[in-house]
Amino acid sequence: MKALNSSFRDPSGFVFVQENNIFRVVNNSYRDNYDSLMSKLYPTLRQAELLIPHKEIDFDATKNTNQYKLLQAEKIPFISYPYEWSFSQYQDAALNTLAIQRKALEQGMTLKDASAYNIQFHKGKPIFIDTLSFEKYEEGSPWMAYGQFCRHFLAPLALMSYHDPRMGAMMRDYIDGIPLDLASILLPFKSRFRVPLFLHIHLHASSQKRHANSENKAAKTNRKISRAAMMGLMDSLENGIKKLRLKTNRTEWGKYYEETILSDDYLTKKQTLVSDLLENVDAKLVWDLGANDGTFSRLAAQRAYTIAFDIDHLAVEYNYLNIKEKQEKNILPLLLDLTNPSPAIGWNNEERDSVFRREKPDLILALALVHHLAISNNVPLNKLAAFFAQLTPQLIIEFVPKSDPRVRTLLTTREDIFPDYTHEGFEVAFSEFFTINRKQKIEGTDRILYFMKQA
Amino acid sequence: MSDFILLYLDPGTGSLIVQAIIAGFLALAFYFKLAKNAVTDWVLGLFGKKRTIEEEISNDESSQ
Repeated sequence: MKALNSSFRDPSGFVFVQENNIFRVVNNSYRDNYDSLMSKLYPTLRQAELLIPHKEIDFDATKNTNQYKLLQAEKIPFISYPYEWSFSQYQDAALNTLAIQRKALEQGMTLKDASAYNIQFHKGKPIFIDTLSFEKYEEGSPWMAYGQFCRHFLAPLALMSYHDPRMGAMMRDYIDGIPLDLASILLPFKSRFRVPLFLHIHLHASSQKRHANSENKAAKTNRKISRAAMMGLMDSLENGIKKLRLKTNRTEWGKYYEETILSDDYLTKKQTLVSDLLENVDAKLVWDLGANDGTFSRLAAQRAYTIAFDIDHLAVEYNYLNIKEKQEKNILPLLLDLTNPSPAIGWNNEERDSVFRREKPDLILALALVHHLAISNNVPLNKLAAFFAQLTPQLIIEFVPKSDPRVRTLLTTREDIFPDYTHEGFEVAFSEFFTINRKQKIEGTDRILYFMKQA
Repeated sequence: MSDFILLYLDPGTGSLIVQAIIAGFLALAFYFKLAKNAVTDWVLGLFGKKRTIEEEISNDESSQ
């Protein structure tokens, strides 16, 4: 058994994968904390669905005397990272972490980590996955994970709220959260008039600067933080997070959505065709690339867990808010720019996987997408076919030809250097990797929907 | 300050110290909230009402 590449920092144990199951080794050094967690806090957190469930598995203790327990954790169908979340997903992840810390404090424990990577989305909601992040709370001690919480959650959310949701992408560059001195510089002056942001970002950053190199740290960090102050800290962080808003509202989303689709008739016809094609598909995991607000992801989600990827922050946000409202469990909306997909980051470039190295789909939906990649991003059709072939055995793909109004719009500002961009050229390119099983024209348009399979 | 020195700077100390600096203020805010909740409960109690669930969740969680 080999520990996951992301699981090396914590001496309390590690995670490994075997036959597609997730196991966690708990070392003897974590024994007291583990027993303390399981006695009361674990049932509380499970009841509130805040922490991932696990079961204890028998193991051969003579082989590893350092090992206290072996746990099998419930598997998350698809791992995602903070730079792929929309604003509300990120905000809910932050609130999940604070809710856990509150419940932990009530029961004499505390979170020693507050990393955004400890949160995953599962069944439509954020859930905490690091079972070994808890330790006993000693009254008077500060929250050791406070700095990490501010870097991983408060700083990116404040930047997304005050400037633009695309600021979340900064998390790709800063794996341990956005440095607070940088957040403090980037946030506008008016953010200082919000008490939580003043305290936890601006004052926090200047305190870090002042004491970074100071002598006698032990004496300075020895001051006691009362339980009331600790609870006040949780209130303040929670208020700070909850009051952050995106600079847009639902009315704008409604308008945005109306502008995005071509017409109701086209949409209905395409929905019928896609539903029909999905009937023949056997899939556990579906990726919908260019999913927009998830209209077609929802058709796939009736059969399989579906990831609704889109480049547009508002589309992902709108999709997530819908999922939350309707309590949908089978869809995960995520941000993805296919022309520059999430890379592998962290130690040795393998701590966080690139998006294509994670769980691969059994089916990809690529509807109204190809023209963006082939024409806006100049990717030749044979390269596009090879791209899909390395990811999925089954493909439902829509070809949008040059005669289509949308492609004509794209070509008005570009030289037409795409002589092969035709139905025939498309079929030749994709036939190199796939067998075309079905082909269906979308009535009233020149668009064609294909269902393809690899041999 | 040279880049070499920057590598030895420790942001962790400042994160702990700032908690100590703001602790008094945070504790005060927390007690104020408890007092406010108690008064609200008393006033509403006179009319036989309770705080709404949303209010209790956002104001009361930490006081349990």
